[in-house]
Amino acid sequence: MKKLVAVTLGILTAFGGFVDIGDLVANAVVGSRFGMSLAWVVIVGIVGICVFAEMSGRIAAVSQRPVFDLVRERMGPRAGLVNLGASFFINVLTLAAEIGGSALALELVTGLNYLLWVPPVALVAWLVMWRVKFETMERVFGLAGLALVVFIVALWRLGPDWGELTTQLVRPPQDEGVPTYLYYAIALLGGAMTPYEVFFFSSGGVEEKWTRKDLVTARANVFVGFPLGGALSLAIAACAATVFMPVAAEPDSLGQMVLPVAQGLGKVGLGVVILGVFAATFGATLETALSSGYSLSQYFGWQWGKYVVPGRAARFHVTVLASVIVATALILTTIDPIKVTEYSLVFSAAALPLTYLPVLMIANDPDYMGQKVNGRFSNVLGSFYMVLLLVVALAAIPLMLATKAGQ
Amino acid sequence: MTPPARLAPLALLTALVLSACVSPAWDDHDYALKAGKTAASAASAVRFARSAVAYRDRMTGPYAEGLLTEAVQDLSSVNDQFGGVQPPSDASDGIRDEVLRLTEKAESEVEELLIQTRRDGVKDPAAAARELDGLASELNDFAEKHK
Repeated sequence: MKKLVAVTLGILTAFGGFVDIGDLVANAVVGSRFGMSLAWVVIVGIVGICVFAEMSGRIAAVSQRPVFDLVRERMGPRAGLVNLGASFFINVLTLAAEIGGSALALELVTGLNYLLWVPPVALVAWLVMWRVKFETMERVFGLAGLALVVFIVALWRLGPDWGELTTQLVRPPQDEGVPTYLYYAIALLGGAMTPYEVFFFSSGGVEEKWTRKDLVTARANVFVGFPLGGALSLAIAACAATVFMPVAAEPDSLGQMVLPVAQGLGKVGLGVVILGVFAATFGATLETALSSGYSLSQYFGWQWGKYVVPGRAARFHVTVLASVIVATALILTTIDPIKVTEYSLVFSAAALPLTYLPVLMIANDPDYMGQKVNGRFSNVLGSFYMVLLLVVALAAIPLMLATKAGQ
Repeated sequence: MTPPARLAPLALLTALVLSACVSPAWDDHDYALKAGKTAASAASAVRFARSAVAYRDRMTGPYAEGLLTEAVQDLSSVNDQFGGVQPPSDASDGIRDEVLRLTEKAESEVEELLIQTRRDGVKDPAAAARELDGLASELNDFAEKHK
């Protein structure tokens, strides 16, 4: 149990990356339209985020400073500002979607319109960030998010044709065009490697006061949390491929996305999956709101973090509060949270190199890392991913326009 | 910033807004394709409504009602959007009549089921599920024909 609790930061971060509101629906849509033929993208995403999260965790443990703090110092204020602008914009957009996602989960339970739940969700999220200790927060929401394992149980109960699912891995459907296939591949990769994950993860490491002695804990967080998040997103896609694909039904809402669990496991399963969805989206709300505060404070050199009393990190807490207010206002305009998150995934994909290049550079800098610089294996993988992310970044927006956002 | 660089965000925003709009039908073929996509979207909504009825005993009340409400909204939106597209010639009128007959029937049937659910529950779930199955198959056949 103690070991499980030690990896809750990784689990919470990974849920933000793999099973937040955007990924939940994106994985279900992908499963219903492409079967398991895009599963390889999730695998590529898991390996990629593990490589870079391991680097950012190591940076935090060795230097006791988070990644964003070092980006400006290492790359200069201008490059840091471009990085800040892109990641802050995507953060607030994603935060809006997560608040909407938590409200949608409450709508599924109560039947009350989600817009009524948006202000209470935002208020409670802010109170949690203001009052609750970082470790308590990550443990409660990281562990509650584990309820999403119910997708794996539901898949088993649905009794899919495993041979058919395996065949789909290497055979994309013929009636979907190549640009649409690539668009969804990019959206899935953008979702798996969302920029705020590494900023949150490394800042979380500093909040937990990681040192060189905690490198094993940091790595355990990475290699347990992210693959678990990835496995859940594959299970969601497989459930959709089993229930929706054969009847050509395409889910476009949270309610429709959890239907396979209700079909497979009944009311108890439905209750558990809604709890898991709420925990994952509420956890991602905290993650994105805190990331906004982390990135801005670290860029400007303000005192930040929950490890000091709020009065000593006033500007950090004001940034978090302002981000929550802006995101809440955006969702209260009645803009569809699912659409917001679909666009934020593609913008994330376009901004990926801006996030990951500095991580790769700092992890190779002996001034910061001493003897704990990247080994050859990390550098080969990191360089391969930089080329891949550059291609993805260049293709993301043109593909979104060409396919009318995957229609 | 150079003028083209200044205009880039505006161009991107315009492209995003335009990409979300329903475009007019340029010719009969384009109209038929739009009709096919409309039928496919309606079939998808009917399938979700069918699940809400067929698996009602495995769901909570608010959840089943939410699924049906969404299906009604989706069907209404599909009807409004396709109804707003001008058929380019007399030849397209037949397609318009055929697809709207199916989608409007789907909307009214699912709406009726939603009303029943909100009162005492669906009277004959097995029959309703069969009916929706048939309707979804008709819509899917139409969509296949006009791909």
